[in-house]
Amino acid sequence: MRILAYFKVTPDYEALRESEWSAAAGRVPSSGGGEGTSRGPSADGGAGPGRGEHAGPADGVDTRYVRRILDCFDESALEIALRLSDALVGRGRAAGLGALSIGAPGAEPHLKTLLALGFERAARVHTEAALDFAPAATAALIAAYAGRIDRSDLLVLGARSSPGGGGTVPFRVAEQLGWPCLTQVTEVEPLADGRLRVTLMGDDGLQRLTARTPCVLAVGNAVVSHLRVPTLTDRLAVRDRQPDVLEPADLGVDLADVLRREGPSLAALEGIDRHREGVLIAGDTPRAKAQALFDARLKSLLEEL
Amino acid sequence: MRFTVVMDGTSAGAADGTPAGAGEGTADRTADGPSGGIHRRAAALGAFLRDGLKSDSAGASRGAIDAQLAGDTLVFYSDERAKDRLVALAPTRDVRLVRIEARRPERMAALLSARAEGGQTDLFLFAGGPAGTELATRLACRSGGQALSEVLSAETAPDRLSCRRSIYSGHLTGRFELSARPWCVAVDPSWADAGGSETVAHTIVSAIDETGGGGPDPFEDRERMEAPSSEDLAGSSFVVVAGSGAGDRQGVRRIAAAAREMGATFGVTRPVAMNAWAPMDRLIGVSGARTAPALCIVAGASGAPAFFWGIERASLIVAVNTDEHAPIVGEADLVLLDDAVAVLEELAAIVAAEREKR
Repeated sequence: MRILAYFKVTPDYEALRESEWSAAAGRVPSSGGGEGTSRGPSADGGAGPGRGEHAGPADGVDTRYVRRILDCFDESALEIALRLSDALVGRGRAAGLGALSIGAPGAEPHLKTLLALGFERAARVHTEAALDFAPAATAALIAAYAGRIDRSDLLVLGARSSPGGGGTVPFRVAEQLGWPCLTQVTEVEPLADGRLRVTLMGDDGLQRLTARTPCVLAVGNAVVSHLRVPTLTDRLAVRDRQPDVLEPADLGVDLADVLRREGPSLAALEGIDRHREGVLIAGDTPRAKAQALFDARLKSLLEEL
Repeated sequence: MRFTVVMDGTSAGAADGTPAGAGEGTADRTADGPSGGIHRRAAALGAFLRDGLKSDSAGASRGAIDAQLAGDTLVFYSDERAKDRLVALAPTRDVRLVRIEARRPERMAALLSARAEGGQTDLFLFAGGPAGTELATRLACRSGGQALSEVLSAETAPDRLSCRRSIYSGHLTGRFELSARPWCVAVDPSWADAGGSETVAHTIVSAIDETGGGGPDPFEDRERMEAPSSEDLAGSSFVVVAGSGAGDRQGVRRIAAAAREMGATFGVTRPVAMNAWAPMDRLIGVSGARTAPALCIVAGASGAPAFFWGIERASLIVAVNTDEHAPIVGEADLVLLDDAVAVLEELAAIVAAEREKR
C-alpha cells in the first residue's frame, strides 16, 4: 500500500499579538484567493468566474516575524500515517510511505525530519503563490501529485488547516481522484486483508467502519497529536538525502489558470469584538481572592443555579 | 433567488428516535447522535433561513426573504419510518423526498448535481458539520458552482452571494464573495443554538425512490460506538474550564475535582486535551463543545479565539490567570490574577463550607 501524507506549514497564529489582528481587521485583501471551488474535473473551465489577475491572498495579516509550525491536524495525520506504516511493516506488508507539502521552501526542514523518521519519499511542490484561501488550487496540486506522480493508494491529511479552516480540501481532492473520503478520522488500523479499520467522529457520533483503498482519510481530533522526534542517528542516516522539488507544471497543473477560477474570493477582513469589562478581584492570597469572588458574585449566582 | 435546503436524514431511525438494532435509546441520545443530530441540524437550517440569509435588494434590515416560500427542502432518507418525522423538521413549506439506501455522499452529490443542472436553484443550503461540508463541496465540484462552509451569514445580490465566516482560528471574520452558481453553502453549526423556528405546514412536492442506484458501498461493517459524550457541557449552566496554566496532568485533575465539588461541569482547552491531561470529550472550543452557561470559570487558559468561541455565550465569565496580559483578561467579566489550581481549590472549599452551613 502506498501511503501519502500531506501537510502544511503555517505561521503560528497564536503567537501574533492582539494589535496585529486589530490592524488586519478592516483591511481589504488586495487580491484574493477564495475559500471555494472552481470547476469540477470534468468541466471545460471556460465558464469559470474569472477575476483577472491573481497574486495570492495578500490578506493583510502580517506574519513575517512569527515562527512556522506544522498545522496541528496535519501533524496528527503524519503521525497516524507513520503508525499505520509501522503496523503494516510489522505484519510483513510493504508500506511505501511518502510525504508532500506545497509552497515556498519553509517546509524543507520538516520534510528532512520526515525522511529521518522513515518516510521513503518526501516532496515539495514549489510555488510562491499563497494558497491560503485557495482550496481548489491546493486540492488540484495534491490530487495531481497523488494520482499522477506518486500513484498513492491512500492519502492522509488534516481535516482542516489554518487560516481558512473550511475543511473542504480533503473532499475536493477526493472529487478529483474519484475516491471516497472519510473525515474527522481519529484512528486507523490495518486489517489482515489490506483493508483499513477506521474510527471517526461523525455528525452522529463516534463510529468505526472498514474502508478499502484507494481513499482519502482526513484526520480530526485524534488522540495521536504529536509527531515523533527522530534521533540524531536517524538524522545522520539521511543527511545526504534531499526532498524532491517539483513545479506545478511537472504535475500537469496550470496553477495560474486554476487560481483564476478559484472562488469564492476573500473580499474583506472584519475584527471580532470579544471585549468584556475585566473587573479585577483583588486579594492578598488565593484564599482571599476566592472569598472576594464568592461574596461579590458567586454566592447569589450559585443559589440561583 | 431560488434556494434548496438539503437535509440529510439518512442516519435517522424510526419515529421514536430509536435506531434499528441500536438497543435502548434515551430521549435525546438517539441514533441522531450525541448532539441531537438531525433535530439540531434542521434547527440550524431553519434559524439560518430566518435570520442569517438576507437580501440586499430588499434592504438588509428587512430580514430574510420569504424563507418558507422562495425555496424548498430536499430530504434524503433511508428509513421509511423516519420519513414523517423528517418532513416535520423541514424549514420550508415545499418538501421533496429522495430515498436512498444509506448515507452515500458521492451518490447524494450526483443526485444534487443532476438537480442543479436545471439551473433553477441558485443556492443550495446544507447543515453545518462534516457531512454538510462534504455535500456542499462535492456538489460545487460537480456543478461548477462555488462552496463555502461554516457560514455565519449570507446576503444575496443579483450577481453574487456575500457570506461571512470565521477564519484564522477565530481571530478574524472573512467576507467571501461567491459568483459562479450554484452557491453551495454549509451553515455554521452554531445556528443550531439560535432558537427554534416556527412550525410550517408542509406540502410534499415530489417523492423519488433512488434506492438501488448507487453501486457498492465503499465503506463496510459500520459500527456505532458508545462514545464518551460532551453533551453535558453544551447544556450546563455552570462550567469550569482548565487550560494549560494548570501546569500538568495533576493540576488539571485538581481543577476537575474542584469543579465536581462545586457542582460544575468540567471542560478543558485543546492544549490540555492534546497533552492527554483530560479525555477528548471534555474539549471546549471550535473543535469541541460549545457551551452557554450562566457562569463560566476559566482556570489557566489564555483565551485563544478558537477556545473562546466555546464559551462566548456565557453570561458571566470569570478568568483566573497568572498572566495579566493574557487575552482572556480582556474577554472576562471578572478577573483573578493568581494560580488557577490554588484559587479553584480555595473556591471549592468555600462553596463546600457554604453548603454545610445551609
